[in-house]
Amino acid sequence: MKRVVVTGMGAITPLGNDVGSFFDALAAGRSGVRRLEGPGIERLAIRVAAPVSFDPQPLFEPAKLRMLDRVSQFALVAAAQAVKDSGVTLGQLDRSRCGVCVGTGMAGAQSADDGYRTLYAENSDRLKPFTVLMAMNNAAASWIGLEYGFTGPNLTYSTACSSSAVAIGEAARRIAGGEAHLVIAGGAEACLNLGTLKAWEALRTLAMEDAKDPSASCKPFSKDRTGLVLGEGAAMLVLEERDRALARGAPIYAQIAGYGLVTDATHITRPSVEGQAAAIRAALADARMDGKDIGYVNAHGTGTQANDGVETAAIKSVFGETAYNVPVSSTKSMHGHLLGAAGAVELVAAIMAMQRGLIPPTRNLAVADPECDLDYVSSGARLVPGLAAVLSSSFAFGGTNAVLIARRDA
Amino acid sequence: MSVLDRLKQLLERDFSIPSASLDAGATLESLDIDSLRLIEIVFAVEDEFKVTMPQDQGEIRDRVKTLGDLANLIEGLALSRAGG
Repeated sequence: MKRVVVTGMGAITPLGNDVGSFFDALAAGRSGVRRLEGPGIERLAIRVAAPVSFDPQPLFEPAKLRMLDRVSQFALVAAAQAVKDSGVTLGQLDRSRCGVCVGTGMAGAQSADDGYRTLYAENSDRLKPFTVLMAMNNAAASWIGLEYGFTGPNLTYSTACSSSAVAIGEAARRIAGGEAHLVIAGGAEACLNLGTLKAWEALRTLAMEDAKDPSASCKPFSKDRTGLVLGEGAAMLVLEERDRALARGAPIYAQIAGYGLVTDATHITRPSVEGQAAAIRAALADARMDGKDIGYVNAHGTGTQANDGVETAAIKSVFGETAYNVPVSSTKSMHGHLLGAAGAVELVAAIMAMQRGLIPPTRNLAVADPECDLDYVSSGARLVPGLAAVLSSSFAFGGTNAVLIARRDA
Repeated sequence: MSVLDRLKQLLERDFSIPSASLDAGATLESLDIDSLRLIEIVFAVEDEFKVTMPQDQGEIRDRVKTLGDLANLIEGLALSRAGG
């Protein structure tokens, strides 16, 4: 099997629209969660979310922009950052061996919502001519493929909250198996429209707004956690076969060392200790590592009652006594839950932690749930020079658990 | 203002097609109007001229080779609507 490395990263997030500012905000413990404003928001019982501040107008030709849902805009910009960061020269690639793997949960939900509003709320038959092209699930991946002329596999994965971890893991497998030389892999989500927010609200799994400080509404592992906070954004990584990356003198952030994929098959939403633990074990086995080799766990850590205790138990069941020695943090406390983009955004956070030797904290955690007794890095970012391997977990509705391990390239 | 002039105005304003290239004989091809762009233009034309263009894209393409053809089609539709 060939080794797979990360040579470029890009991110559009509630904490900043590039990787550097995103990680700086995480390290500083800043929150991108706030009270939403705008038409229709008064109809929401839960008004906190983590939106992206983003103006697409200067970034795209008007004719192209009319065809791009917000999710594709995020994906294209993050991909462009990642490609630029990788320093790859497109002309030197065999583009028949280059692909795109994108994870998204709700895909073009904004355009679907716009269409429904026109049809049902405005009682008009004038749906935008490109509604289908904007809302289709594979639009983001397709636009990236078009942009770079990649004629290899162009794939969209939709496994809810693990979508982009799956996309990255599957991309790495295609490179490891020799099928692809380079894949742009990641995830994108733009789900903060009224219809999607109402639907999540109805599921009664969203965090209540913190009465004193809306930005502190997401409280993973905390005794007083009340749910998840939805976020939006994208992260894309350029994954390459290691020897090819070295041959072109590429900057190497990390190796994708392990990928574990295990499905619960027990319940549509309820997480399972066994399923999560099995996915972590599978990733460690794939990386030929032990729990003690992992220097940082970027947890799924949603802030829901159901997840955080189960995840803590899963980590303990795999790591044993060493579970208490490994720093575990949930950056969702700051950027919210990006659903299909969460795995990619959090892998970027974990890789940057390794790059900088700095573990981002779990924000808003004053008193932990008694069930949650690990080291959650709750008192601010922690310097850990020489951090050599990091693990990022993504556990999904539907039960698809995906875990990625990245390690320093050596 | 004639239908053709209003059409030119629309194409320049909403689709950034330079007015210098817009005359009755200009083919859709020469104006870089591909099948997707044509669908957008049809939508905009329906709004602007309060007409309903044929649902069959093939029929539109058969009848509209040039800007003049498009103006004639719109005029015909508007007349048949006005005439009931």
